[in-house]
Amino acid sequence: MALIALLLLPVIGGVIAFVVAGRHEAERWVTIATFALMLVVLVAIVVGAPDARWYARFDYPWVPSFGISINLAIDGLSAALVGIAAVLGIICVTASWQEIRSDSGLFHACLCWTVGATVGVFISFDLLIFAFFWEAMLIPSFTLIAIWGHGDKEGAALKFLIFNAVAGFGLLASAFALAALADHMTFNAFELAQMKFSTPVQVWMLLGFSLAFMVKLSVPPFHAWLPEAHTLAPTAGSILLAGVLLKTGAYGLFRFGPMLFPDGLTAVAPYGIALGAVGALYGGLVACGQNDAKRLVAYTSIAHMCIILMGISAGVHYALAGAAVEMIAHSFSASALFLLIGALYERTHSRDLRQLGGLQQYAPRFAAAFSLFCAALLALPGTANFAGEALVVVGLFQVTWIFALAALSTLVVSVIYATRLLKGLVFGEARLDAAVHDLTLREYGAVLVLAAGTLTVGLYPQSLIGLLEPAIRAALAPQLP
Amino acid sequence: MNAAQLAALSPIGALAIGAVAAMMLAPLARAELVRAAAALSLALAAGLVLLRAGASPAPIGTLYMDDGPARFGIVYASLSSLAALVFLRGGSAKEAPSLLVLAALGAATLAAAGHAATLFLGIEIISLSLIALFAFLLSRPGLEASYKFLVMSGLATAALLLGVALIYAETGALAFAGWSGHGALFALGTALLLAGLAFKFSLAPFHMWTPDAFEGAPAGAAALAGVVSKGAVAVAILRLNATAQLPEPLWSSGLAALGAASILVGNLLALRQPALPRMLGYSTIAHSGYIAVLLAAASPRADEAVLFYLAIYAPALIGALCASALLGKAPTLPDLHGLVRRRPLEAAALSLALLSLAGLPAAGGFIAKLYLFRVLVETGGWTLLGVVAAGSGLGFYYYARFFTAPFIGVGAVEADPLPLGDRALLMLCAALIVLFGVAPGLVIDIVTPALSLR
Repeated sequence: MALIALLLLPVIGGVIAFVVAGRHEAERWVTIATFALMLVVLVAIVVGAPDARWYARFDYPWVPSFGISINLAIDGLSAALVGIAAVLGIICVTASWQEIRSDSGLFHACLCWTVGATVGVFISFDLLIFAFFWEAMLIPSFTLIAIWGHGDKEGAALKFLIFNAVAGFGLLASAFALAALADHMTFNAFELAQMKFSTPVQVWMLLGFSLAFMVKLSVPPFHAWLPEAHTLAPTAGSILLAGVLLKTGAYGLFRFGPMLFPDGLTAVAPYGIALGAVGALYGGLVACGQNDAKRLVAYTSIAHMCIILMGISAGVHYALAGAAVEMIAHSFSASALFLLIGALYERTHSRDLRQLGGLQQYAPRFAAAFSLFCAALLALPGTANFAGEALVVVGLFQVTWIFALAALSTLVVSVIYATRLLKGLVFGEARLDAAVHDLTLREYGAVLVLAAGTLTVGLYPQSLIGLLEPAIRAALAPQLP
Repeated sequence: MNAAQLAALSPIGALAIGAVAAMMLAPLARAELVRAAAALSLALAAGLVLLRAGASPAPIGTLYMDDGPARFGIVYASLSSLAALVFLRGGSAKEAPSLLVLAALGAATLAAAGHAATLFLGIEIISLSLIALFAFLLSRPGLEASYKFLVMSGLATAALLLGVALIYAETGALAFAGWSGHGALFALGTALLLAGLAFKFSLAPFHMWTPDAFEGAPAGAAALAGVVSKGAVAVAILRLNATAQLPEPLWSSGLAALGAASILVGNLLALRQPALPRMLGYSTIAHSGYIAVLLAAASPRADEAVLFYLAIYAPALIGALCASALLGKAPTLPDLHGLVRRRPLEAAALSLALLSLAGLPAAGGFIAKLYLFRVLVETGGWTLLGVVAAGSGLGFYYYARFFTAPFIGVGAVEADPLPLGDRALLMLCAALIVLFGVAPGLVIDIVTPALSLR
């Protein structure tokens, strides 16, 4: 029942936020309270866990004649991602405190619903319920971009919607094909994992699922929606996109790839690694050429998602653990960078690396935070990203050294774009006429939370890996229940 | 004719008497009374069927079937017509309610038809009342829609009749059950029959009248054309599938081909439409295509899916048309901007209806899409699945433009008081859409017994 509460809280919170909007920032506090309550429920679930593999499970038939049931389960990986979604939700509220002035009620409702739907994705183990939430998250996030974005926001939002919705059909069709091929009509992932499908079938189904996952991960050539969506979205939208929505793709591949298609994944693994390597290099190199700071970070997301793809495809313990850690690490670092760039844009109305610079003179807190997350972006030791990327590279070395070399070369590229970002904004000569306000306490608090996450995982990775270990083991040995 | 058969026939009687009563009241009584009489007969017809929900079928020869699909079709036609009556207005004449009941009568007859005579009768009654209803406002676009429909309907009827005649020449039977054979005449007759039905179903390339009708005719009449007559034709094709042995693969692959063409044509033409009713017109062509694809599959699961699709489709299209009617003549995208601030209720209901038509989750349309996917996967229709996916992808584009429009920007300030009936209808449609989306099991439980009588 706690899992149902986790799903219902944001839905109800969103409705309340919409209704009470307009008086004394009520909608903001309602939204914060909603996410805080979700965190409380989550902690209660994890602390009161009966066994090690699953903290909580829930099963209720939804459409029995279809074999669809509301089948929810939560383990360490799901819990970590749900927790990050809720924390980022709160951070989104603080990040949009000044930015969002029109239709604030609907904005916060969409925030709640986006997080609610992604939470659904992270805990669903019925493929159709999974697909349900997969498509459900598109509408509120589409609305976030389409209404509160900048520039050609409607075009960017439509691109986002169409890419992801069409890819969702691959997921739906494969889910149906899988259920139709099964011994009996079922979408229950646990039951489907027990059934043996031939390798060609697995490959085809995996490709169908992967279409959705790759588009959400924004692996080139499926990435065309991402730069615009990230750049033109409001700050909160960018944070959610990078911190939560991209992770649904990584999560889906990590969870259901080895679980449902072990042989298929092995068969396509080299292609997956190769695609990831090419994509990571491409994303990194394009990022180096960007002058818009937000766009630059958007392209680095592509590179990092591709590293996750390589890790999952490699399928060895180190690589899988690295991919899982990188999911969380990237949520911290990319969200923080979007938050900081958003705060900067509020003050200067510019994100252009050629126009800004020398911010350490006016805004030391901003400069310190920005430097830390740039260090995370290039995966310096001590940051969570280092833990993730290093593990992936080590895992890749175990498979083939060529691919490991490719992954390493992307790390070199990351040095270029991270220093370029740092030099363009924080250091160098000041090119602005007026001084820039430093971060407000609200913004600083949000950044500190993310910094704490990055450093804790970076300095003591075992704190996170211990939580993720059961899910990693399950992905390693999918036959085990 | 025994008592059971009389009872089975009673909904038709209620509709017929209602149509005549409304017509006779029109010159004498006030408009409200005429509407009340029409509404009463529609509610009565639906009620009479529902009262006999568990009764065993009492068909009257092959002319009038009383099986599950027929009962579903009559209830569907009556309730949808009742909903259309709520927002059917405008024009000075008071005959509109009578015509509307007549259309429901035609749809009911068509849904119960097991014989070429009742099939033809049903189709013609619907067509004739639609011709009059389209022109009801006496506006130029309405007259154009009506004229176009009149000419094309004449052609379609001729094709249908010729088709039936050819089938009769070959098989010597007019009842669906007697239609079987292999001759060339039979095949030609089937093709003509299909063309005639496709016209009423607004399947491409027989769809030309639809967007004009949605744009020019009163929204209530558009709802009749888009929901009531479509549902009746779908039930008629279901019965043809089940009882007649029409030449294969001509019949089912013809249906599938027309369906695929409609999905592509409807969605492509809807892409750039700025006016809401016209967009709905094109989208209804696409939805006809989805239903036709299901009809072509002709498996028990597909039959169930057809009825489910119809049940989901009605509140979505009726809700969208009702909201559109409240906004005045043919609202365009800019008219919708900022609607949520002026009229939160219509804006929310309209967006929800469009979400359902787009097939996104939490709205009933998602479940209808699931059904469609399931049938296509089970029957191995991978090409059709591709077409459906492409169509739905295109659909996201144009529906998204419309369902977000009410939340964007600020429009002109206007605050007409809402008619109570329309408000209730909108709420009902919205509630049904959410109910179907969140608890589809309920609807499946209603739909499945409708098929068990077959």
